[in-house]
Amino acid sequence: MTGGLLSAAAIAVAAPLAVAAATALGAGGGRPRRLAVAAIGTSLAASVAISLLWSRTDGTPLAFGERLGGGSLVFIDGITAVLLPYVAIVELAILLVAPRRALDSAAVARLLAGAAATFAVFLTSHPLVLVALWIATALVTWVSVRVTPGGRPAARTFAIAMVAAVVCMGVGTVLLLIDPPWATAAGWVGSTGGWLVAVAVMIRKGIFPFHSWYPSLFSGGPMSTALAATMPQVAAYTAVRLLIGHVDHPEGVAAELVVLAQLALVTAAYGAALAIVQRDLRSLIGTLAMSQSAMVLAGLAGTLPMELDGAFCVWVSSGLALTGIGLVTWALESRAGPIGLDTPQGRFWDAPALAGFFLIFGLAGIGLPGTLSFVADDLIVSGTLDDHIHAGLLVIASTVLGGIAMMRGWFHVFGGPLAGDGPRHAILPRERVALTGLLAALFVLGAWPDPLVRALDRATGRLLGVAAHAPADERGPAAAAAADLQDSPHGS
Amino acid sequence: MTNHDVVSLLVICQLLAPAATVALVGLPTLLGRPPSEPATTRIVGAGFTIGLLAGLITLGVLAVRGFVPEIVHLGSWFTVGHHEATIDLVADALSVPYVCFSTGLCALVNAFAGKYLHREPGFTRFFLLLAVFGTGMNLMVLAGSIDVLFAGWELLGISSTLLIGFFLERGNAVRAALRAFTTYRICDVGLLTAAVLVHRAVGSGDFEHLFGDNWPNGTCLVPAATATIVSLLLVFAAMGKSAQVPFSGWLPLAMEGPTPSSAIFYGALSIHAGAYVLLRCEALLEQAWPARVALVVIGLGTALHANVVGRVQTDLKSMLAYASMTQAGLIFAEIGFGWRVIPLVHVVSHAILRSLQILRSPSALHDRHELEAALGGHPGADPWSIGKLLPERLQVMLYRIALDRGFEEMAMGRLLVTPFLRLLELASRVERRWLTLLGGDAGPGGGRP
Repeated sequence: MTGGLLSAAAIAVAAPLAVAAATALGAGGGRPRRLAVAAIGTSLAASVAISLLWSRTDGTPLAFGERLGGGSLVFIDGITAVLLPYVAIVELAILLVAPRRALDSAAVARLLAGAAATFAVFLTSHPLVLVALWIATALVTWVSVRVTPGGRPAARTFAIAMVAAVVCMGVGTVLLLIDPPWATAAGWVGSTGGWLVAVAVMIRKGIFPFHSWYPSLFSGGPMSTALAATMPQVAAYTAVRLLIGHVDHPEGVAAELVVLAQLALVTAAYGAALAIVQRDLRSLIGTLAMSQSAMVLAGLAGTLPMELDGAFCVWVSSGLALTGIGLVTWALESRAGPIGLDTPQGRFWDAPALAGFFLIFGLAGIGLPGTLSFVADDLIVSGTLDDHIHAGLLVIASTVLGGIAMMRGWFHVFGGPLAGDGPRHAILPRERVALTGLLAALFVLGAWPDPLVRALDRATGRLLGVAAHAPADERGPAAAAAADLQDSPHGS
Repeated sequence: MTNHDVVSLLVICQLLAPAATVALVGLPTLLGRPPSEPATTRIVGAGFTIGLLAGLITLGVLAVRGFVPEIVHLGSWFTVGHHEATIDLVADALSVPYVCFSTGLCALVNAFAGKYLHREPGFTRFFLLLAVFGTGMNLMVLAGSIDVLFAGWELLGISSTLLIGFFLERGNAVRAALRAFTTYRICDVGLLTAAVLVHRAVGSGDFEHLFGDNWPNGTCLVPAATATIVSLLLVFAAMGKSAQVPFSGWLPLAMEGPTPSSAIFYGALSIHAGAYVLLRCEALLEQAWPARVALVVIGLGTALHANVVGRVQTDLKSMLAYASMTQAGLIFAEIGFGWRVIPLVHVVSHAILRSLQILRSPSALHDRHELEAALGGHPGADPWSIGKLLPERLQVMLYRIALDRGFEEMAMGRLLVTPFLRLLELASRVERRWLTLLGGDAGPGGGRP
């Protein structure tokens, strides 16, 4: 079993990396998309294999490699089993829908290199490896934005944010390794390290007041880059690996989580509210993505398994839905240019199929019954209200405002008379396949969420098991059972 | 097969029949091959007819057995710790007659709309949304838990919004749809929060754990304080869907949608969804006098407001919208007075009358001409009105108030919406300046791949 998991993990990372190198050297000729789809398809198959293999285990995480200060080079647990296929689906959808002119060899190589680094992030828990992968993923994103015509301002903003984030992350990690809170009672060094990592997570996740780069990336960079950089939520994964699991330590990093959660809640509500007054579609998607991403962090910083389950469900559901919306937007822009929101644009008459997809993705992102987001909203609202009433109310406010912004976006893009008598733009088969696949994932997981929720509950119970001191009756059975377990991502 | 099994099967059929039509029409449309007009109407019509027949048989079975409620447990949707979302349906003296009534109306409107919308762009879209609405309605009416009820409630809101904005090329339709959706969304906070509180109070969302299963004589199984808070939240939720003051402004605008959907949504079913939820939770209201007082005040206030404003409307659909609002307000007040059967009868009779009036509204001029031709002239003096008994100065004042729609929209706009949007605009401007400071100016069209 261990061999199988390690092999699949290696394939998931190596396939896109190898094809990225080959594409950069000129392989694939004028059609690099096919090779790239094959590579990410292989990663997806390997990710699904990891999930299937993982489901047959007793839930003990697979930790492989040096434990230099609280992390394994390869680390696979229930969180990995859920999130890795999700990341692969997002990357594959981006590749399938990307317009041809956006997929030259260099762009494909960057996309695949970024995908490989992102897969690697989700397969490790080692702080230093995470730092290195943060740099790799940020670098790929920065180059992609910078080479885009007119993308330099967004690249500069992104660079400022990422340099600050990587510095905080690097220094914080080193301090954590010097004075590890998971090994002994942490002194001021470990505590400072924890705070720096928390600040790094805040910047990388676009949490208020470090949020400006997030919508800027969407409005100024290529859609593929913006989606690939934000939807996997590398910083949230880092928070899961480095911050959750220490909260039971008497001088651990619990305070960072509390501050992160409060600021994340404010960001979620602020982003959703700001989305209502955006004047172009990309900014709308950017601010909504910022809001959803913050909501994930708010849930992750909770103390109840239900909150974490809700956060992971929001992670997956909002990621799939926003990826779908972003890809539809990209497809629309590739046909008829940028899309403003000040007045109704009348695009329904131009591209009715894309309008339908946008609508369903939009509804799936705001809690349409039958989709995963309905389950996610239910879990995160219930969890946060159980934990803190103000947190629950802020989450509710975010979902309400986000929903209003989303519907305003749809009506303003597709409503109104069509300007001019241009030809109707039919949806391409590869676009239809990718978008239908994303929708199917949202609906299947929404109609039958129990396996996903149970898997998450098992994983989050184990995460909180080392940390939670709440009475057993305030925690889920999985968390209560997991509290007895001694093994954790960082050991005990 | 026991009686319970038969009823369970029939209840599932009532739910699945319209739901299946969503898939049968929606999937081919999504894949680029929408069914033809006749096929679409037949598929959707068949779904509603099967649902209606299943409802009628269930009604017969329940009547024979003295309307003993049947709870249909379809299992657990998902479970996390103490939070279990169950899929429970209930067949009782409230839900089954109501589902027959609503499914029957949907079937009639389906038949009407097949002709009315012939060759209209968006024909398939209309019927797809009608099927989504029917599914949501049946889900809400048959719900045996607050989770299922919330799912149905959301489907109603979404299908309603999309049908108000059906004529996408019209700016007014788009604005009206957004207005309705915003109101729904804000008021849905009440139901969502109530659902969470119910879970916290009884460990699940099942109504049988909340107030038993014996409608209309249920017993509240939670403390009065919990019942009061949950009831007030339900009242807040119901106010949005049923267009009660101060959330009533969207209803006249909602008539921008196609006439068949206006009839079924704002004359018959959607406008009464709030009343249905309150009737379903009557045992909670029994323990919550503040909520009952609120219902009476809001209901009578809405009825008065809508009655006065409706008198000065110059188009038929707006008049009918305010007439619907008046009746919905009276129904709220009746529920607040603690009555059960009267509001139910009121809902059904009002829904039938109003949907007929709205469906006939496009032919009103024609009907009038026919009447005048038959009578050989004007049908007679204007009808008597209670308003004429008021002093003239008061009549003038009321007229001015009515022309401004009771200042409701002005107050909401000036006190809440405009300041909020201005604040957001300010924040957005600050964000843009900050970004320019950080990254420089991209220039027009910068950053597009």
